[in-house]
Parts: sequence; C-alpha cells; structure tokens
Amino acid sequence: MMNPELVSPSEARMPEPGSATPATTERDPLAIRGLIFLRDRGIVVLFALLLVAFSIWANPYFASWNNATLIANAAALTAIYGAGVAVGIICGALDLSIPGTAAVAACVCAKLITQGQPVWLALLAGLLIGVVVGALNGLIALRGFNPIVVTIGMLSITSAAAQLIAGGYSIPGLTKLQFMGTDRYLSIPAPVWIAAGLFLVGTLFLTHTRDGLRLMAVGGNAEAVRRSGVSAERYKVLGFVISGVCAALGGLVTAATVTEASPEASPGIIFTALTAVALAGVPLSGGRGSLPRVLIGALVLATIANGLTIKGINPYWGTGVTGMLLLASLGLEKWVSTSVSRRLVASAQASVHSGTR
Amino acid sequence: MTTTASLAPALELSAIDMHYGFVRALDAIDFHVGQGEVVGLLGDNGAGKSTLLKVMSGAHRPTSGEIRVHGADVAFHSPKAATSAGIQMVYQDLALVDAQDISTNLNLGREILRKGPLGWLGFVDQKAQRRRSEAELDRLGVRTAAMTRPVEMLSGGQRQVVALARSAVRVSGDRSGILLLDEPTAALGYEQTQQVQSLIRRMAEQGIAVVIVTHNLALAMDVCDRLVVLNRGRKVADVATTATDNDQVVGWITGARASMFA
Repeated sequence: MMNPELVSPSEARMPEPGSATPATTERDPLAIRGLIFLRDRGIVVLFALLLVAFSIWANPYFASWNNATLIANAAALTAIYGAGVAVGIICGALDLSIPGTAAVAACVCAKLITQGQPVWLALLAGLLIGVVVGALNGLIALRGFNPIVVTIGMLSITSAAAQLIAGGYSIPGLTKLQFMGTDRYLSIPAPVWIAAGLFLVGTLFLTHTRDGLRLMAVGGNAEAVRRSGVSAERYKVLGFVISGVCAALGGLVTAATVTEASPEASPGIIFTALTAVALAGVPLSGGRGSLPRVLIGALVLATIANGLTIKGINPYWGTGVTGMLLLASLGLEKWVSTSVSRRLVASAQASVHSGTR
Repeated sequence: MTTTASLAPALELSAIDMHYGFVRALDAIDFHVGQGEVVGLLGDNGAGKSTLLKVMSGAHRPTSGEIRVHGADVAFHSPKAATSAGIQMVYQDLALVDAQDISTNLNLGREILRKGPLGWLGFVDQKAQRRRSEAELDRLGVRTAAMTRPVEMLSGGQRQVVALARSAVRVSGDRSGILLLDEPTAALGYEQTQQVQSLIRRMAEQGIAVVIVTHNLALAMDVCDRLVVLNRGRKVADVATTATDNDQVVGWITGARASMFA
C-alpha cells in the first residue's frame, strides 16, 4: 500500500544535511541560483555599472570622494522615506500618509524648539507623532478598510494639521538642528549617518528578530501566521508604526538640513521613495523585499541625477531615465520569476524520478 | 489498530447534532479516533463531512452533543480552544509563507531566541531553529529540501509535506495530538501522493491520531485504518478498512447500500 523507499529516511535524507548537499540536489539548480542572484542582486549590478559608466563619462568630476558624499547625502532622505514605504509594503500595505506625517513631525518639532523647549524633547515629540499616526493608520485599516484609502485620508488630515500648527508658513531658524542636518562627521554628512543607522537596525530587525520575521510573514500570508497561533493584527499595526516613524524621521532630517520646517506635505516624497523601493524589486504584493536593496535603489536615483547634472544635461532626462529603468526592472523581474519556476518544475520532475530531494 | 481499545479515544464525539435552521447537517453522529489511528471520513458533497470536521476543529459549535479529548469533556468556543486541546487542522490551502524558508515556516509562532542580550532584543537563533526542524522532519521520516529553501521553490508535494509537518510538530509535543486533514493529497501527482501517504502513516506510528476528510477513495483505502462514511448528515458506515472493499464503500457513499446502523 505504501511505498516506503520513497521517503524512508535513509533514502530521502541527504547524506549531510545543510552545508554539504550532494551533487544530485545542487547540480541542476545552479542556473536557478544564478537567476535568483540576478533577481536579488540585480540592483547592485546596475548600481556598479552606473558608477563605472559615469566615472568614465563624467571624468574627472564624478569619481571623487566629495561627489560621493554629495550623492550619499542626496540619497539619504529618499532612503529614509523609502525604508518607511518598504516596511509598509512588506507588511502588506502601501502607506501614502508619509508626506503628511513628515510635515506634522517637522512642524511640531520646530514649534517646540522655537518655544524654547530642549532639542531632544522636540525630536522625541516629532518621532512620537510618527508612532501615533502609524498606530492610527493601522488600527483603522484593521477594521477592514482599504489601507490605501485610509492612508490617503490620513495624508489630508496630517497635511491640514501641519498647516494649522505652523500657521500656514514655514518655521525658520532651526539652527539647533544643524547637528543632524548640515554637519559632517568624519567628513560624512549627518543625514548619511542617520540613514545608515536606520538601515542597519531595520535590516537586522526584519531578517534576524522574531518580530521582524513575523512582520514579513504577515505581509506574505497573514492566514499562515494566524494559524500558527500568532496575532497577525498586532504585526500589521507594527508595520504602520514603523512606517510612520520613518516618515517622521525623514521630516525631521529635512527640517534639519534646510533649518526650517515646511508645512507643505509634498507628494513627490512618496513617489521618489516608491521609485527607489520598486527599483529594489520589492513587490507591492508584500511579504518580501530587502532594505539594503532599497538603500541601493535610493543611491541609484541619486547617482543618475548627480551624473547628469555634472554633464550639464537637463534633469528631466534623469526622471525619464529613472522611469525607463523602473520599467526595465519590472521586465527583468518577470522574466527571472518565470524562468525560475519553469526550471524548478523541470528539476522537481527530474528529482521525483531519481528519488532525491 | 486495536491497541487503542484499552485507552480512551484521543478524540471522541457522541450524538453530535448540527442544525442550520431546519436543515440537519449532522444527525446524531458518533465518531472517535484513537491514538495512532488513521480514520478516513468519507461522503458525497453535502454529506456533512466538512461540517463534522469544523465541529472537531472548533470552527463550528454543534447544536447538541458531546466532545471528549482523551476522555475529558471539552467545549470548543473557537479554533484556538481546539488548538490548545491538541487538535491541529491542515486545510486544503496550505497557508504557508511562500517567501520565507522552510525553517521559518516550521518555527513560526514558536521561535527559538538567542541566548544572552541578543535574545532579549528578540534575535532569533536561526541555526537552532534549523537544527530542530531537521530533527523533527527526520523523526517524521521526511526530508524535503534544504531548510533554507524558500517555500515558493518547493514542489506541490514538498509544500504539502511542510504543511503537514508544521501541524505535526505542533501536536507531537505531548505525543497524543490529533491532526485533522482536509483533502491532504488534492492536486498532488502519484508519487507525491505516495510520499504524503507514508508521512501520514509515520505520524500515526508516533501516536498521533489522524482524521482525513477526502473524496479520494484510493487514498482512504490505502492509508486509513478505519473508514467512517456519512450520507445526508447520518453516519452510515464505520468499518475497518480491512473488513470492506471499494464497492461496499462506494455503495455507502452514494446511498445505494443500506446503512450499517439502520
């Protein structure tokens, strides 16, 4: 009735589990692993190619330490917002309220500073705004409302709140925030340090901690998490909260860089960030994606803008090139996915008959 | 398997009635499954097998009747209550996290944290998790693929094995758990079905009580110790697999054959 030799441990088990899998299981997926490498690291390859191309084309101005810090500084803000967008998407929801959250956080912080409150308190209050807005987004979306609509509503509310707090005008004179705006440490601008710290913590969180792994799992398949006895809802809210905190941080860094807090919630923020996230191959369907790749995505955008500016080319070309890159990356992603699944089907059939894997 | 005769059944339902308005979905159903026993629950569409399965998994509360787990009376108010009583349900949609690897899927909800300060920060000991999952799969006698392989890169049979194993490791802690399987081999090819069948037998050998709801008669005849057939909400047969044959069972399912209990 059964066919024990099919899955008996002695037959089906690889001789040495884990590291040294036998040739039969690793030989055919080599092409697959190549394709997966391309999918996962394609953006790195693209970035490297861009750097080489611009180094040659825009020689000698592009490939200098000074220009590198300029690019990194330009990418830092996109990267911070991109982290928020990416965590939201990975957790299963696109958070469109990010520009509004950023504006409110900046205005609250600026208001407190101009009223003479200590800087640390003002910054903390700004970040808390992010937590509150994120939690509200999450709790409302959990009631079964479409998160996109919920966060659009929240975008309007937060924009209005920012205007009301600031009284309709930018709040200038935030020189106390220069330490996280224009100051340099080890000749690297402060926003770059902040973005680097955020991405380091965020990456460790998503890939190595219990809550991070569950957060990603909720975005991939909330039902699976629920059936494992874990509250998926808690992690959905957590995703929005992280997104809100990233937005607030972005708003604070922006204010620090220009030493004034603008109550304008610029929708451009979200689309630039979304471009970096999409370039990084984070699918809108959720559950997957990697923050380091989002960082590279932001760097790619900054590099293109920087290189074209050096060559004196109209920056609109940069926007156009970015769009084309984005569409090309979609095509690549599609091609890789179908190739991978086709090859996997082929190899799975082969392995069933040879009794391995 | 007759060894269970001396013990209270792992799961026992008696005189279960389930009414939806005037419709009797289940009519005085008695059902039991012993430790290490595999019972097939058969019946045509609408015979009540899914309803009965939902009663067992805590998704539905019966209109009347009693449920006992290892001899103790229980009332399931929710699937969670059934889960904590040691009952795990494996649905047809496997509900795996595709983008995550096998180890992460198997350890979801029962992660091993690292020791020391990193553990306080919630860092997961992924090596220990992989080792535990490997050991658990070994104990079930299956090895699907490297633990670090994402689930989306597994074949249908391997995915089924992972889903079964995920539930099996959650009930096998006390070695007396109950697994409810809804069409465990739907959409699987012949060889993959064979693999899943041997996995089911292995789980039973470890003392897990298994209930399989299926339309696949060949699977039921192959893997089950006992068959329970429902027809229009009534139990019409409860018979050891060795004491019956295909034709008899088909007769009970279609209603062409008279009930054993009439």
